[in-house]
Amino acid sequence: MNELREKAKELLLNNTVKLIIGYANGNGHNRTYPFIARNAADANRLVFNEYCVNNLAVYLTRKEFKGKGIIGIVAKGCDVKAIIQLIQENQINKDEVYIIGMNCNGAVNQLDNSFEKTTLAQKCINCTVRTPALYHALIGTTKDIEEPADTLGEKIKEVEKLNADSRWDFWEAQFEKCIKCYACRQVCPLCYCEQCIVDKTVPRWIESSAHTRGNFSWNIIRAFHLSGRCIGCGECERVCPMDIPLSMLNRKMSIIAKKEFDYSAGVSLDSPTLVGTYNMKDRQDFIK
Amino acid sequence: MDEKLITLNNLKIFAEELLKANYTLILQDKQGIRWEKISNSDELHISSKLKPTKASFKEFVFSKTEPIFYFNNKNDGVELIDSNLSAEKMVFFGSKPCDAKSINIMSKVFNWDYKDNFFNTKAENSIVIGMLCEYRDEFCFCTSVNLSPVSSDGSDLFLIPTDENNFAIRIVTEKGREFIQPFLKLFAEGNPETTDQIFKKINLPEKGFESEVIRSWIGNNFEHKYFERAGEICLGCGQCAFVCPVCHCFDIVDEECGYSCGRRMKNWDACQFSLFTLHGSGHNPRHNQTQRYRQRISHKFKYYVDKFDEILCTGCGRCSRGCPVGIDIGQIAKEVHSLAANKV
Amino acid sequence: MNIYKPELMVIKNIIDETKDTRTFKLQFKDEEIAKSFSFKAGQFGEYSLFGEGESTFCIASSPTRSGYIECSFKKVGKVTSALAKLDVGDVIGFRGPYGNYFPIEEMKGKNVLFIAGGIGLAPVRCVIWNVLDLRKDFKAVTIVYGARSVEDLIYKKELDEWQSMPDVKTFVTVDPGGQSNDWKGEVGFVPAIVEKAVQQSENTIAIVCGPPIMIKFTIPVLTKLGFAEENIITTLENRMKCGLGKCGRCNVGNVYVCKDGPVFTYQQLKTLPAEY
Repeated sequence: MNELREKAKELLLNNTVKLIIGYANGNGHNRTYPFIARNAADANRLVFNEYCVNNLAVYLTRKEFKGKGIIGIVAKGCDVKAIIQLIQENQINKDEVYIIGMNCNGAVNQLDNSFEKTTLAQKCINCTVRTPALYHALIGTTKDIEEPADTLGEKIKEVEKLNADSRWDFWEAQFEKCIKCYACRQVCPLCYCEQCIVDKTVPRWIESSAHTRGNFSWNIIRAFHLSGRCIGCGECERVCPMDIPLSMLNRKMSIIAKKEFDYSAGVSLDSPTLVGTYNMKDRQDFIK
Repeated sequence: MDEKLITLNNLKIFAEELLKANYTLILQDKQGIRWEKISNSDELHISSKLKPTKASFKEFVFSKTEPIFYFNNKNDGVELIDSNLSAEKMVFFGSKPCDAKSINIMSKVFNWDYKDNFFNTKAENSIVIGMLCEYRDEFCFCTSVNLSPVSSDGSDLFLIPTDENNFAIRIVTEKGREFIQPFLKLFAEGNPETTDQIFKKINLPEKGFESEVIRSWIGNNFEHKYFERAGEICLGCGQCAFVCPVCHCFDIVDEECGYSCGRRMKNWDACQFSLFTLHGSGHNPRHNQTQRYRQRISHKFKYYVDKFDEILCTGCGRCSRGCPVGIDIGQIAKEVHSLAANKV
Repeated sequence: MNIYKPELMVIKNIIDETKDTRTFKLQFKDEEIAKSFSFKAGQFGEYSLFGEGESTFCIASSPTRSGYIECSFKKVGKVTSALAKLDVGDVIGFRGPYGNYFPIEEMKGKNVLFIAGGIGLAPVRCVIWNVLDLRKDFKAVTIVYGARSVEDLIYKKELDEWQSMPDVKTFVTVDPGGQSNDWKGEVGFVPAIVEKAVQQSENTIAIVCGPPIMIKFTIPVLTKLGFAEENIITTLENRMKCGLGKCGRCNVGNVYVCKDGPVFTYQQLKTLPAEY
């Protein structure tokens, strides 16, 4: 913690960064929330621990911060994947972000902000970026952690085994719950569109009503828009007040991207984006 | 006050009788997500210790989406067809005081001058069986907004567990009395003094702020930079408004069903969305998230109080438990209270 | 009673005011409603095209002229673009009248100064005709109207009519650069023309309506002339959906613009947060 605070102070005092997007302790002992540090006193409030579940990369494209000078950001390996993807998609300039990379030992699974269960978060299981792939400064050390079984992979396999009708029923029961609060979109670092397709009214592509039909179009189209782009931070599923297993959709699309195109989003600054790159050799036979 | 006693076993029979009498029973679901209809009295799971579900039961009286009428564009003109008002008789079973109060609070806005019969019909067809609440976490603050875990305000009947298998039930409203009348054989006479003793032993959440202080501080400090702190991290989703038992803003949109017909829908909307106030011209009276967050707090603790003499908040803590970035409305109100106390 | 269900109105006449602004003359399809319908100057309605949605405009015609209403709108969004495609004889939905109104009764016996910019003339036009139709009840009437360019002026015929009236002083202006070769009116921004055209504030009510920037610079001119804040009246154009004080969209401070407004005195406006 001291290392993080000292680094933050140094960056702010010598004007390397204009501000630092990090975490501070919230009300109650087991919570952190996104916090913007602008001076040394603020820097002393920064924390990093297993409760730092938020992917702060979402703030980098917001108009309050974007293009306003070099922004420092406290980022776990998974958050850095989002930053890499944002740079790759030309949403942020890599010279305008200063990554304080955090060696990460996993975040807790969060039912809601009251943290009743403190098991390892789904997104941390089989994590390959406990040390971020890109950083300007690296803080902390990794240690061995106990990882539970990958239940998400199991759940996907189970649904894959169902026939089309039963799969439809499964997702209908999930999407029926959706209340169109758009927390999934707002919290997603890669949902940065100035105008989301669901808000377009001329013509209206997606019904804004939260009935099953409108919910299907919204959730499926969002999953498609994130195909080959989702970095798997699991934020959408974490914040969904209706507990819709959105990670199943996103993980499934990632599996396809990996299998068919040997592509994983947010891994390296050197690999061009999947959907932004035309390749004559791209396979098409997966379209059924 | 009239009070009856009922055993857990008889409560189940009561539920069964209600189902037989065509009542829809609506309870907190077992996953803690939302309120659900049950079709069998065996599913009756109620407890004063349950955590509030992520979503309130608002959806049943103020639908997340509902048709307000249908239209048919024909060659010789337009035909408008009324949407049927629901006649479903609903019973909210085991509602916490912070949920029970919600219908009365929303009723104010849906009934000043013009009357919204979509809300009113459902509200009139609802019976709220409230229940004493023994759940506490750091997000609860009902005692700061004139409610309490033992408040029967908003309930028609109010359940008080006396031990594991027995309940006292208070008849709070005339509506509740009429409702329970056909089932009285399942109840024994109770003694209000006994339950008063139970109430006294209930551990109340600490009062974190005076709502009246918040109201007057907002009135005098509208431009205060305090709101920027929440405003700059708020991501502008509608989670808080949609899980809130009393947020009631809505949108009206048309939906086509086929070439020439369709329906006009009334859908939940939220003041935290940037599009909420955006004019066709591009002008947006609340153009940043700080202003939108300030609107949320101000509407709850000042505007609604000034206009309808009710705080637009029941202290249930749902918005804070679910906020993607951990904005805690109770904590904010507490901090505003201390700002006011220090006259900053 | 379904408060959200509109009545049907037939488009009786269409005037293309500018390249993107239209005026509809509307009559209720149902004769009983046509007979019983009444409204006051400043009230508004929700106009709908089924399948597209509803849009909020003021009633731009005067309550002194019964049997029809008129509305003027600019093509900006989904609903207005669709309305702009309609023809005479087509049917649209109407809910209203909603909101409060200008204090015509209290204005009687006083001078009236009308100041409008762009499409802001629509609500003002309603009051202008209301006053002119009861001309003897009012003292001096002055109209100052401006638009970005000659092409952007609306109600052109009526501007000529007002200018030809001996007992009405009418100043029509366009922003510098917006004049055509044969333009004979004023050139300059509305606040500057007001400063030139108006000399006194005594016993006068000013009705001001137009883009926020125009209002912002006109108010100081009026204040300098000695207008009391309660004698400057405007109408707000917040985004609305229900018009009934339910949906929350037009909530500004303690008021719902659709119910407590849209007509406010400058004195009342000053007590509200600047969120309009």
